[in-house]
Amino acid sequence: MLYLPLLTLFKANSILLTVFKAGSSDLPIYALVGFVIGIFLFYQGFKWMRQKQLIESTPTSKIRSLAMGLVEIFGNVIPSEGKILKSPFSNSDCVYYRYTVEEYKNHGKRSQWDTIMTGDGRELFFLKDDTGMVLVDSNGAEIDIPQDNQYQTGGLFGKPVPKTIESFLKTKNASATGFLGIGRQLRFTEWFIAPKDKLYILGTAADNPFVKTSSRNEENIIIKKGSNESTYFISDKSEAQVLSGFKWKVWGGLLGGSALILICLLALLWFFKVL
Amino acid sequence: MGFGTDLIIGVAVLLVVLILGGWIAGIYNSLVRLRNDIKKSWANIDVLLKQRSDELPKLIASVKGYMKHEEGVLTKLTNARTAFLNAKTTGQIADADNMITGALKSLFAVAENYPNLKANENFIQLQNRISGLENELADRREFYNDTVNTFNIKIQSFPDMFVANFMALKQEEMFKVTEAERADVKVEF
Repeated sequence: MLYLPLLTLFKANSILLTVFKAGSSDLPIYALVGFVIGIFLFYQGFKWMRQKQLIESTPTSKIRSLAMGLVEIFGNVIPSEGKILKSPFSNSDCVYYRYTVEEYKNHGKRSQWDTIMTGDGRELFFLKDDTGMVLVDSNGAEIDIPQDNQYQTGGLFGKPVPKTIESFLKTKNASATGFLGIGRQLRFTEWFIAPKDKLYILGTAADNPFVKTSSRNEENIIIKKGSNESTYFISDKSEAQVLSGFKWKVWGGLLGGSALILICLLALLWFFKVL
Repeated sequence: MGFGTDLIIGVAVLLVVLILGGWIAGIYNSLVRLRNDIKKSWANIDVLLKQRSDELPKLIASVKGYMKHEEGVLTKLTNARTAFLNAKTTGQIADADNMITGALKSLFAVAENYPNLKANENFIQLQNRISGLENELADRREFYNDTVNTFNIKIQSFPDMFVANFMALKQEEMFKVTEAERADVKVEF
């Protein structure tokens, strides 16, 4: 959870330090970029604060008695009939997946993993608690789930490419081998929501467009991103863990953003000899 | 101190003010949202109470022919429904709801003595519908109480209490279940 603000802060600060050390004339550009990132982080901090307060003040609903509007529910994933996906690399059953393909590349003196491909897939699914089950459309949701699988090819630690990855690469007209058949150093990562996974959802209960009217209240409802309420959050963590993550994000965003703004401003003033 | 130092101090102060201001605004907004959520969750209970009240005349009509010797049970239900229809305040509605729930419990318990009634398709459908509504009502009462509880804790907690005092917020009352409703229904054979 704290990963994003800390990483951004770390990256921006390390760039600034490099520039300071080198006495580079690019300092104003880096400082300006850092300043904008700082403002973005600061703004995000407030956004996360609002989300945290929403989670704190929204009681959990039982699915059987869901009312329209923003709701918080817990339950297990049940795939909608015949609507099951396969994760791209491990070929696991799922209702949602996301993946990245990265390649290890040299950039002058530095080498790093560059993202060369990303993608996701989703299907409607049901969330079931002990009172009933409700349809969920995860489109537009912020999905907070841990990484499920990672494979690496080429290089020292690379293993042979699994068949599922080979066929995935084929569908994308790509190959794991590069120039003269030498293995490219690739990293494949996937995240997915599998059947029976326990999920926490904070989203909007709206009219289910797939059902005309049912005597069961929950069948008339679909959980989705609201038109008036932008918060739509899905996680496989407990509410307490989600809140704890948000707490760190809020302070990381607000304090980290503030620090970055001040450091970059200081750098700019120092460069233009205003200090 | 030069312009640069003044600027840095100014921006630092501005950031602190923004964080504090945003924090206070966040507390204010979340209290406003909770207060509205209480009203909304009450309205969601009210919708179900009305639906259940609409089903009662049908239920009474369907059991009247079978339960000629249970005038007391039926009168209790009719009176409870009348009390609900005449209720104006939240407290009166809650009392009438408790009366209806109690009367329904008695009626369904007494119905056990009438095998012909129990086998009646219309009665079964109404019983299922009303039981479904009762379950949903129980959930929504619980949800309402959760919302009220969150609100009450928040307005008494530090530092939210200062904003709550400024907004002149008072503790809200929970939806109480009467002793009569909590008690098991006695069936006389």
